[in-house]
Amino acid sequence: MPVVIGFEGSANKIGIGILRDGEVLSNPRRTYITPPGQGFLPSETARHHRSVILCLLQEALDQAALGPADIDCVAYTKGPGMGAPLVTVALVARTVAQLWGVPLVGVNHCIGHIEMGRLITRAHNPTLLYVSGGNTQVISYSERRYRIFGETIDIAVGNCLDRFARVLKISNDPSPGYNIELMARRGTQYVELPYTVKGMDVSFSGILSFIEEAANKMLASSQCTAEDLCFSLQETLFSMLVEITERAMAHCGSKEVLIVGGVGCNLRLQEMMGVMCEERGAKLFATDERFCIDNGAMIAQAGWEMFRSGQVTKLKDSWITQRYRTDEVEVTWRD
Amino acid sequence: MHTSHRLELYPEQTVTQLLFKCVKNAKELRKSVMEGKIDAAFINPKMLVDPFQVLVAANKAVHLQTIGKMKTRSLYSEVIFNLSPTNNISEAFKRFGISDTDDSVLVVLITTEGESQVLADVVEKVDGQQIPVAELSTLNDVTQIKKLYKVTPQEEKLGSLLDSVVCRMAIKDVL
Amino acid sequence: MEVNKKEESMAVSGFLLKERVLRQGAEARVYRASFLGRSSVVKERFSKKYRHPVLDRRLSDRRTLQEVRCILRCRRAGIPTPAVYFVDYTSHCIFMEDIVDSVTVRDHIASTQRRSDPSSALEQLVPLAAKVGRVLAQMHQEDVVHGDLTTSNMLLRKSQDPAELGLVLIDFGLSSVSALPEDKGVDLYVLEKAFLSTHPNTERLFQELLNSYVASSKKSSPVIKKLDEVRLRGRKRSMVG
Repeated sequence: MPVVIGFEGSANKIGIGILRDGEVLSNPRRTYITPPGQGFLPSETARHHRSVILCLLQEALDQAALGPADIDCVAYTKGPGMGAPLVTVALVARTVAQLWGVPLVGVNHCIGHIEMGRLITRAHNPTLLYVSGGNTQVISYSERRYRIFGETIDIAVGNCLDRFARVLKISNDPSPGYNIELMARRGTQYVELPYTVKGMDVSFSGILSFIEEAANKMLASSQCTAEDLCFSLQETLFSMLVEITERAMAHCGSKEVLIVGGVGCNLRLQEMMGVMCEERGAKLFATDERFCIDNGAMIAQAGWEMFRSGQVTKLKDSWITQRYRTDEVEVTWRD
Repeated sequence: MHTSHRLELYPEQTVTQLLFKCVKNAKELRKSVMEGKIDAAFINPKMLVDPFQVLVAANKAVHLQTIGKMKTRSLYSEVIFNLSPTNNISEAFKRFGISDTDDSVLVVLITTEGESQVLADVVEKVDGQQIPVAELSTLNDVTQIKKLYKVTPQEEKLGSLLDSVVCRMAIKDVL
Repeated sequence: MEVNKKEESMAVSGFLLKERVLRQGAEARVYRASFLGRSSVVKERFSKKYRHPVLDRRLSDRRTLQEVRCILRCRRAGIPTPAVYFVDYTSHCIFMEDIVDSVTVRDHIASTQRRSDPSSALEQLVPLAAKVGRVLAQMHQEDVVHGDLTTSNMLLRKSQDPAELGLVLIDFGLSSVSALPEDKGVDLYVLEKAFLSTHPNTERLFQELLNSYVASSKKSSPVIKKLDEVRLRGRKRSMVG
């Protein structure tokens, strides 16, 4: 039974996880949190990752009660993501793979989320909604590819939420999205915001520029509270996501939905998706924050799938890439 | 001769259409309507393509009356207004209502169960020859209709004139 | 005879309860019913329970309105769409022409592919692709952006002469009026994705469609340029703002 270690650090979370035959043996993670009103930049994020990665690696091994000799394969995030942080993590992954004399597997970050979601929830063949700070895609598996049915034509939904949090100087600890979710629960008034769905795609730049411009004015004139804005933003953004997911389901005749990615932790999104599913007689699957949020074990899981179906990454091919489409990967481990 | 159609959406209401030619008392009829003495819509058949067109107008009138959103003051004037491709009320009456010199008229009645007497009363009041409603096409002016409804040549290729006319009637209020 | 709005929705919904559902999409149910003596199709935008009620009503209102407005705009320009007979804005129902004896372009492509070998099927479908390209060019010329182009939203009338290819566009709920090449480019992009994901290995057919679009349109090059840009966008997305 091969033991796979996975390295993830494509954004502000760095995680290292160890997996054996579908069992998560350890999955520690650190998050680079910036002060309220500030986003995270590549160089600073890479610096953060560099400063914690070796400790994290030790932690992962200790928690799994394993040593380097027990590892059979090293998986790492090849992309997509931010350049400098990706490089930092890939460097360590390459080094340990060589040190320990084990094969290396470069994993697509999105596929990491998908494969972890499938493992944890045991969903059969769901329509996938992948939503995070960097990605918003509706995906369906067909003929050895995770095909993208719908996506954002501009920014990701998590990015939209994060930037809104900056406008209102909402805390980034533990994450801006989580704090927006808490505030939204206290919101009562629904404020009309732009809603843009184009076919199976969505667009968030319109709603973001609207709310960036209008938020402070509305709060200053006491038209509504910050909680109301959080509530309204979530209701609108999530409705758009549920709509395109439902369209993809109708198109594919699917009876299952699996939400993956950091924004997938949001209970309101899960609730709304659940209502839609119930109305169609479909089933909703979701994971909790251990696996929704970027983590190392998901890379290990996808890496394991790739490894056992014969895919390995040669050292010379073990570069990273900021752009890496989900549908570029040949899904050799499924029929 | 006349046609009756029970509205699917408002089953208590039946729309009856009666067509008359060689009408001699158009002036009187018009006066009676204005004075509220006859409860019916008197329409100039020149601008009508088909009885379906009238049913569409009548259905919309009953619907708007039910939700309290009529644009005119009575159900029958609303029927006439609904025939028009524009939102100008007086223009609608000018084009679709009868004038003193008209010699043909289409009468529309919207009645509930047990109002059959109304039909007989109205027929009596019209001094003219009743013909089957199906003969409407002998009395209309297709060229004028196309002009009034601004039916384009490209549109004519898509479907019937009736489709073009009814489509405008249905959507004019939100253009 | 004053009845309030809530009761009015009941009149149409009550009527529809007895009618046959033809299909149910993500947000609308389509019925076949006899309306004023004609066989008609009724499209009902029903309430989506996951949406906030204010947002739900706003979207249903807007989409019903946009649909009928764009239908008329298309018809005036000779672009084939169903004729509308009646709109109930309180229950978001559109009563329209029943395009009898028709099949969706989606089903037509699928059945053609099923009964012929791949290259023969493609040859047979080229005239259809060309026709679609022409009709879309015409539609964009009118500055109508459909917003939800898929092969399920195009009907082919069966009874006509096969060479005639009676095409009818439907489902204008996400449509808008726009002169911007960006919007038209996205319109084609939406179709391309829907086309290629529904009908694998038909890249050549879609290219025929685009060629026909370009040949029929005087203003196509900025639109195609925008289409190319949007196609690349997915590959150029940066992670953080």
